[in-house]
Amino acid sequence: MTQKTRAAEAFLSTFLAIAAGLVLSFAFLPFMGINPLSSFGLLFSSMFSDRYTIGTIFVKAAPLILTALSFAIAYRASLFNIGAQGQFYMGAICAVAVTLGLQNRIPAFLVIFLAGLAGSLGGGAVGALIGFLKAKYHANEFLVSMMSTYVIAELMDYLLRTFLREKAKDYLQTDSIDPSTWLPVIVGKTSVHLGVAFAVAAALLVWVLLFKTQVGFRIRAVGLNAEAARMCGIRPETQCILTLFISGFLAGFAGFIEVNGMQHMLITGLDADVGSYGIGIAILGSANPIGILFASVLFGALKTGGTTLGQVSNVPASIIDLMEGFVMIFVLISYFVRHKISLSRTKRLLGKAVKHG
Amino acid sequence: MVKLLANALFMSTPLILGACGEVVAERTGMMVTAVEGIFLFGAWGGFVGAYLTKSLSVGFLAAIACGVLVALLYAVTTIHMQQNQVVMGTAVNILMTGICEFFYRVIFGTPLEPLTVKPLPVLSVPLLSGIPVLGTILFRQNLITYLTWVLVPAVLFLLYRTSLGLTLRSTGENPEAVDVAGISVSRVRLLAVLFAGILGGIAGAYYSIGDIGMYTTSIISGRGWIAFAICFLGNWNPLLALGAGVVFGTFDAIGVYVKSLGSGFFPSELFTALPYLLTILLTVVRRRFNAPAKLGTAYVKER
Repeated sequence: MTQKTRAAEAFLSTFLAIAAGLVLSFAFLPFMGINPLSSFGLLFSSMFSDRYTIGTIFVKAAPLILTALSFAIAYRASLFNIGAQGQFYMGAICAVAVTLGLQNRIPAFLVIFLAGLAGSLGGGAVGALIGFLKAKYHANEFLVSMMSTYVIAELMDYLLRTFLREKAKDYLQTDSIDPSTWLPVIVGKTSVHLGVAFAVAAALLVWVLLFKTQVGFRIRAVGLNAEAARMCGIRPETQCILTLFISGFLAGFAGFIEVNGMQHMLITGLDADVGSYGIGIAILGSANPIGILFASVLFGALKTGGTTLGQVSNVPASIIDLMEGFVMIFVLISYFVRHKISLSRTKRLLGKAVKHG
Repeated sequence: MVKLLANALFMSTPLILGACGEVVAERTGMMVTAVEGIFLFGAWGGFVGAYLTKSLSVGFLAAIACGVLVALLYAVTTIHMQQNQVVMGTAVNILMTGICEFFYRVIFGTPLEPLTVKPLPVLSVPLLSGIPVLGTILFRQNLITYLTWVLVPAVLFLLYRTSLGLTLRSTGENPEAVDVAGISVSRVRLLAVLFAGILGGIAGAYYSIGDIGMYTTSIISGRGWIAFAICFLGNWNPLLALGAGVVFGTFDAIGVYVKSLGSGFFPSELFTALPYLLTILLTVVRRRFNAPAKLGTAYVKER
């Protein structure tokens, strides 16, 4: 069994799982008296209808790449950071506050840089705090990160209602940030902004970090066997704080690119599902940064196509969640099936060897 | 004040229900991370059942069916297919958000006014409800709340005084031993998760048809996770979970009360965030844990 056929099998089974998930979600449409086949066609044709829409796929994929990386890097260290949503909000709050405070006072590129730094560090600080509580007090990081999301969401609503509120005081949102502080569009006639390139670069960097540096080695070593790592002089406690800092940093950075690149303001409930989709995407990409890139584009495409579908036909936009949920579950099931198949194959080979030997 | 306390008990009921189910499941080694999805589908199923038949009991039965269905999906994939419990739970929760929204639309279309049912009535216990203060707090609740108070000691008895309870607890501590004794670990875990599904379904429906009498997509918003946290903070003991549930219910009630007062620069959001902050604080402060040894790990039978 060569490496190549193994990879091909993995690809095929993931593909089948995705297809099964999509087909099953559309199989519910006849309940509403809608022809599933034509809607299915419409989903794809609306994804690629024009240059702008294709660009939107990547704009939607960018924050997902980052939150998926956020989950993946912690997962590699056997830590569950399911609070990327909160760290994302924290990043968005810091980025918008810095931008609104500094815009038109100092050069725009400096504002963007500082907003990015503030956003990432804001998210990173939340992550590091969770890591500290875990390392020092053995607090369950799964629970703490989950709960921190709700706390930060309330904090955001408070700030949006008071200090950061727009001048008109109509909605829970900030004023628009100055166009000079927007992340520039890098592909003409689309909305693809610099943040998309940053997100892709982040995926490549995380790959290098995880698999080609000492830091990454330590993270993975702790993830595989914390006690063995300790014997080798790696302190799992330090790694825990560092890993969750990086994890939060990535999610916070996503908050920054959404504020300065896409939304150009902070609104209540911004991208309210970016955290949970990040987890799904990380799983779809087997916690590998390169896999995450592809999985994010797929989800970005489903989001884009699904939204258009909701606008131009009677298909409810909630079909996106349906598709994504089914795809995730089928991919997880496909892992099991693949494992079973390879197990029975090994058994067969072993049986043969015993007979002939 | 009396009203607030009565309301606190009212709000704590679904949390205690959910936490009790979670305790039983986690004692067998299964973290039911799909609890949020179970609550949501329960709330949805309860409303649909009650609205279509105009009967609350049918609603609660439908909620139980929905809760069990989600629990079954979760159980099969995590127990029999040995997928990671946290990851699978997240996937199930996302799927349930989609299913509830999608099928609400399928069944009801887009109604102009929110659809409502008459929520669970208050059942005053004769005589006892006449006791000043205490009577109003304790004995003017609804049927589900009373049943929950009976359930907690029942689960406690089940876990510590019956052989079934011993089996349940051993499955979480030492599954090999249970296996050797000729009992199927998978089956014990499956049944425990389904039990959590039943209670979680009822708890979810409590929010829709027990409390406000309608269904919204944000009806649960993390309450399932709080039940999850209560199980953990209650040290996997139903009685302590009851206590923790009342504390959280109180904060929930205070949050609702403060929010109705209006705002200004006063951070009323702080009160909404209190249950979550409290969870973090207690997680940090608590030093001794009695977690089941095999919590969250799949059991692979040796062949």
